[in-house]
Amino acid sequence: MSLRALWIISPEKGEHASIRFSRRFATVELRAKRLAGSSYVAVPEDDCFLQLLLTELGLSGSKQPFVVKRDDCLYRPRSPAVELHVTVDASPEQRPPLSSLLSVSQGLSFLAGLQTFLLAPGSKQDGEGLVSRLALLPSVLLQVCPLGTPLELPLSGTLATPSAPTSAGIQKQPAWRTGLHRGRAVVNVSVAETVRSMQYGNRSRQDLWDVYGTVACKCEVEGVLPNVTVTLSLPPNGSPLQDILVHPCVTSLDSSVLTASSVDSCDGSAFSGPYKFPFSPPLEPFILCSYTSQVPVPPILGSYQLKEEESQLHVSVVLKLHESVKNSFEYCEAHLPFYNRDQMGVVDVKVSSGQLDVSKEKNLLVWALGQKFPKSREVTMEGKILFSGTAPGPSEPLCTGLTAYIKLYFKVPDTTLSGCSVDQHSVQVYSSAKPRIVTSRELHSKDYRIWNSTGTAPVSSGQMIL
Amino acid sequence: MASGWVERVSAFCGSPSRFLCGTSSEVFLAELLRELRDDRANYNVKVLLLSPLCEYPALLCPSDSVGEETALELMSIFAQSPPKFVHFRSQLLVALTCVLTCSPDASSRLRAFPDFLDLLLQLAQDTSDLHGDAAQRSLRATACDCLREMEVLYPGLLSQRLELLGALRHQETSRLHQAYAGLQTLVLRNVVYLLTGEKEAGAVHLKALLGGNESVGWEADQNLGAASGKNSTPLSSVILTPMGTIPTLHTGPDCKELRSVLSSLLEESYLFTPLSQAERLYRLTEVVAMVPAIPPTIFRAQLLRLLGTSEVSLLHTTLLMKSAFTDSLFSSEDEAFLLKRLVVLSQHPLLSAPEKLFYMDCILHFPENRPISCGDSDEALPVLLTPRLASALLPVVFNDSATLLARFNLLSLVYLEAGEEEDGRGLEYLYDHLTSLLRIVESGGKRESIVTLFRAAFLFLFHFHHVERYCDNLSQQLCQLYLQHTRFAPHLINLANQTQEKLPDSPWAFGLLKALQRVISQTPLSQVTRHDLSWHLKVLTRAAEEGEMSQHATLRFLSGVITPSSLSWSADWRLGNGILGVCRRLLVHPSLDSILIPLADVLQHLAGHYGDTDIRDHARLYYTLLTTLSREKLATVLAHHAEGGQQVKKRTLSCLMTEGEGLTSILTIHETEAAIFRLIETHWEQPEAEDLIQDETERGEADLETYRAQFGDAAFASQVTLKFLLTHTETRDARFDQLFSIRLHFSLTDDHYSELQDLSVPCLFRERPPPVVALTLKPKQPYPTSLHVSAIFTTQDGLTWHTTLPDIHVCFQQIFLPLPAPSSWGRTGRQAVFAGLWEEISGETEECASSLFCCRLEEEALSALVEKHFLPFLVSDPAHKDQFRVLLFLPPQSHVLLKISSEEDAVHFNIATDSWQLLPHINDYLLEITAS
Repeated sequence: MSLRALWIISPEKGEHASIRFSRRFATVELRAKRLAGSSYVAVPEDDCFLQLLLTELGLSGSKQPFVVKRDDCLYRPRSPAVELHVTVDASPEQRPPLSSLLSVSQGLSFLAGLQTFLLAPGSKQDGEGLVSRLALLPSVLLQVCPLGTPLELPLSGTLATPSAPTSAGIQKQPAWRTGLHRGRAVVNVSVAETVRSMQYGNRSRQDLWDVYGTVACKCEVEGVLPNVTVTLSLPPNGSPLQDILVHPCVTSLDSSVLTASSVDSCDGSAFSGPYKFPFSPPLEPFILCSYTSQVPVPPILGSYQLKEEESQLHVSVVLKLHESVKNSFEYCEAHLPFYNRDQMGVVDVKVSSGQLDVSKEKNLLVWALGQKFPKSREVTMEGKILFSGTAPGPSEPLCTGLTAYIKLYFKVPDTTLSGCSVDQHSVQVYSSAKPRIVTSRELHSKDYRIWNSTGTAPVSSGQMIL
Repeated sequence: MASGWVERVSAFCGSPSRFLCGTSSEVFLAELLRELRDDRANYNVKVLLLSPLCEYPALLCPSDSVGEETALELMSIFAQSPPKFVHFRSQLLVALTCVLTCSPDASSRLRAFPDFLDLLLQLAQDTSDLHGDAAQRSLRATACDCLREMEVLYPGLLSQRLELLGALRHQETSRLHQAYAGLQTLVLRNVVYLLTGEKEAGAVHLKALLGGNESVGWEADQNLGAASGKNSTPLSSVILTPMGTIPTLHTGPDCKELRSVLSSLLEESYLFTPLSQAERLYRLTEVVAMVPAIPPTIFRAQLLRLLGTSEVSLLHTTLLMKSAFTDSLFSSEDEAFLLKRLVVLSQHPLLSAPEKLFYMDCILHFPENRPISCGDSDEALPVLLTPRLASALLPVVFNDSATLLARFNLLSLVYLEAGEEEDGRGLEYLYDHLTSLLRIVESGGKRESIVTLFRAAFLFLFHFHHVERYCDNLSQQLCQLYLQHTRFAPHLINLANQTQEKLPDSPWAFGLLKALQRVISQTPLSQVTRHDLSWHLKVLTRAAEEGEMSQHATLRFLSGVITPSSLSWSADWRLGNGILGVCRRLLVHPSLDSILIPLADVLQHLAGHYGDTDIRDHARLYYTLLTTLSREKLATVLAHHAEGGQQVKKRTLSCLMTEGEGLTSILTIHETEAAIFRLIETHWEQPEAEDLIQDETERGEADLETYRAQFGDAAFASQVTLKFLLTHTETRDARFDQLFSIRLHFSLTDDHYSELQDLSVPCLFRERPPPVVALTLKPKQPYPTSLHVSAIFTTQDGLTWHTTLPDIHVCFQQIFLPLPAPSSWGRTGRQAVFAGLWEEISGETEECASSLFCCRLEEEALSALVEKHFLPFLVSDPAHKDQFRVLLFLPPQSHVLLKISSEEDAVHFNIATDSWQLLPHINDYLLEITAS
């Protein structure tokens, strides 16, 4: 992949944006020119480019209801803001499909890497962090793509100054390993699972939930090309891990690890571990692998019912924690937003456990359930809300009438739904010094919604219906 | 100083064209180089100074000679820069690469090129840093990058170094081995490609290039001759060749050398960063594709690792390999696995939206082992993609709009393929989904969701326009939506237009417009707001374009609107214009005969009773046209009207009023393709020499002080007026023979002059004598300059045009004025000023300078020269031929004094000026006039 030009643009208030950084690559431009011949189109100057981009992204002219260039109903999945007619990978006569150009995926990786670099941890998006990162960018580009053809990504940590010079050994140092670790060997492996759910409380519509996990590693071990093996294991009756994706530093894979897929019909005889991942770790923390899993039940099953009674809304909620899930939360909160109504006036609602708050804006009930469900593993909320506030609350086109939802936010340390775990003793490190090995697990929720069963909930996945 | 450079460099890189208005590229380049050579300058600033050369080398070095000089200069700076400034030295290598490769003449290579190439190779081999400073390696890495870029630009350039590169890669154990490997792979691929052009000798040459037999290697170079590196066209992808044929190199079964190089590169590929790995694997795929003797199974060992990767570019490389090698590398199980993998990745919760969209695109262009459709058609579904498998990608309302549309499109294709037109549940799902989008928009979605709805609707219609029960229902739903949100009118009209264009056989758009006409005309007028009404009229205008559609309902609606009892809105110009717009379309409707009377009624009513005079006038015109002209004539008149015919009268307001197609061309400023006219200097007249002999009697005190006092008035003698003729250029175009209201706009190319006023010329006819244009310049510094000129004018048919004229060049002597002494002074007074100034300048104050210019001239020739060029500026008596004294005044306040005398060997021009910057210009000028 070769870049003809690179711009870093940040949006500003209203319909403005500014170019924070721009760089052109003259030799790549020359190649484009020679390849394109008479159909050559030069890269426009900064201002002109910015204007075209804003129009394409629909960030300018919001006052006009219909702008053909922006709002035409023709489906244009690959429409560029500026068509330069020619890529430096293909001759000008062609406009090949994107999937045949390696540059496209490389470009995606490069841009994602650049974004990670610019928004590195500790720097807020528009704060000083970004400014200092932008100041570093010219020297970073000199390292990763002096002439527009990157072979590596900007390192998200500090600048690529090797932490220690490498000795001339026989083993070659991987290009993605920026230096050597000296000091105590520590290997840290943490499994984090995320559960998503859509519950409708409705017979005609099946509830949905899914679980996906990531295994993050930080390995501080000595050696030019150290060898580490992490093994994931499941409980005896656990359902197999599916859709496994691995980090490029994994040296080899058993084909059975890749067989289970979420889009396949589940096969009882499928391989269910242990899953071995031999790899040579980079210096920085990384995601060793990710997977999805099909678990038989959602961790919290809820029901939500709203009834319109004259000017009041009758609310009734039941949440049940499944018995297989550890009853020990870091936090657990239920949020009940109300849209397209006036602000809440009188709130006469009782909860069987936990604490209830009305948000400052008076359009949201926050039910903090604390660290534990009661012994019965069930909590309820019952009561009436009068929307007699003076000002109208927020609007949301999805939630009109009785279409409403509860969103659950929770985190359970030291557990996974799939049962997947990394045993401390299963982590093998081939090195002289015996490393300290730390493993951990956690489960948290994302997009965990329970829809009001008396309203019409939007379809959130077609797969289950068909 | 440093901060000044930061701003200047960023101003230049942001917009070179604007930056160079204030200076020239030569000056800027000279300044950059001077600062780069300056030992005192900070190296961080120096790195910055290199960026204009890296980004715009061709602009700063517009000719080969400048490029050559600049390159030599940079090479010497490199040689002198201390090794510890690695960053600067690296950037310098990059700048040199840019300057040396971007010479404007693509065929020739600059003389410094081989020296630089040697320098790069030397740096790349310099492993003396092995135990030293780690940063030093980055200079080696940059050198490799530069070599790689040069090899890309000149394929085959490094073909002779293939073995060397292999050895360097082999020895290197630091991270740098990746840079060598990249270079080696690229050169290998280029060499193999270039050798495919040779009939038989290819294999031998390849062997020689890879394996060290130097004499043969040399021979191979001779043979590669024309191609190696002299070819200045970079290669595009070999696998992607337009004809689909891959050039091949027949090596016979024995190509051990190549095989061993490939295996060792593949073995180490794991050690490369993913981006680099993807690039290498792709290049090697190209090599193997070109050499049939190497089996694709050489990649087998890498496959499993690549199939499980989370890295988008690596999986993509695998797909590209599959596309190149099909079933010689991928079994049918692999194929099924890959497709499933793509479906999984297209909706994987941990991937970014762009990655997911990309994987969906890959599904639509899936490289099948045995594709059924041989066409190179845009999108085709792989056979293995069943509705069941694809159901993982059903769109949901929580998707962002790009994902939603991509899924909608993919699933539409899947159901179309599966023949789901009749009671397929998948199709039902898609339609339900469309309905839920509609509901969201109905309850007040944002602009993006509105656009998404209409795009999804278009996709649905495009694929399933033949499934009537859904399409009819969609029309109804859209009509209901329109009644609630009339502001969607442009979207609906756009949808109707696009479906009509893309599906010419489908009656859907007609049905939609008809349904819209019906719901509009059935709405009780009491419920229609002013805002709704203007959208209704737009929709009805569009409906009136349908020749097959009955227009009675429209006319009923119109007559309802203009009836006073229902007219609750103010009868303003806008509303009247909207109504007339519909009428205008109805006047040309094929069923005019059947609607003649109601249409005439509407027009008559408007003409008689409407609240706006202008509307009444136009309604009357339409009424007259309708009632007096035959249908054919009416159609012709109005068709002319719409096309924007030749006559000015026809296309003015009435056309604008009814939004005919002429409107856009009237309101647009058109751009001429070539220059239509230009400004030619009138024969340059020198200012008249004043007859001073008559006026010997001095009035008033003539001294320097009195002379200077005149400049108290800032406007005094501050302008130069130049006269030009405005004439047509040779290109004849009848449209432009008669031009009106020409407004000339002048823009400066530097800041030595004040902004210029626009000038107006009433008309320009080709046959008549050209008008004279007087341009008044107000110099800030009296230097020669160029002016950009553009003009806006009107042609006879009423269109407005913009054109660019050739630049005007103002030369030095055009800025000369005679001494602006008070008119009452005679020669004596002027001589006094001359003497006073001369004395002052000889005192050598800051800005002053004296100089001497000599040349050989006969006495007669000198007299003639003075007469021709200096008469108006002569201060001394022309009869005194032993010494001429000439005083040139240059506004705003500069003087150039000349004492011209014939000495024994040559004519001496003694020059004195109070502005030393003028000296080079004077010198040029004197050279010019004495040469002829």
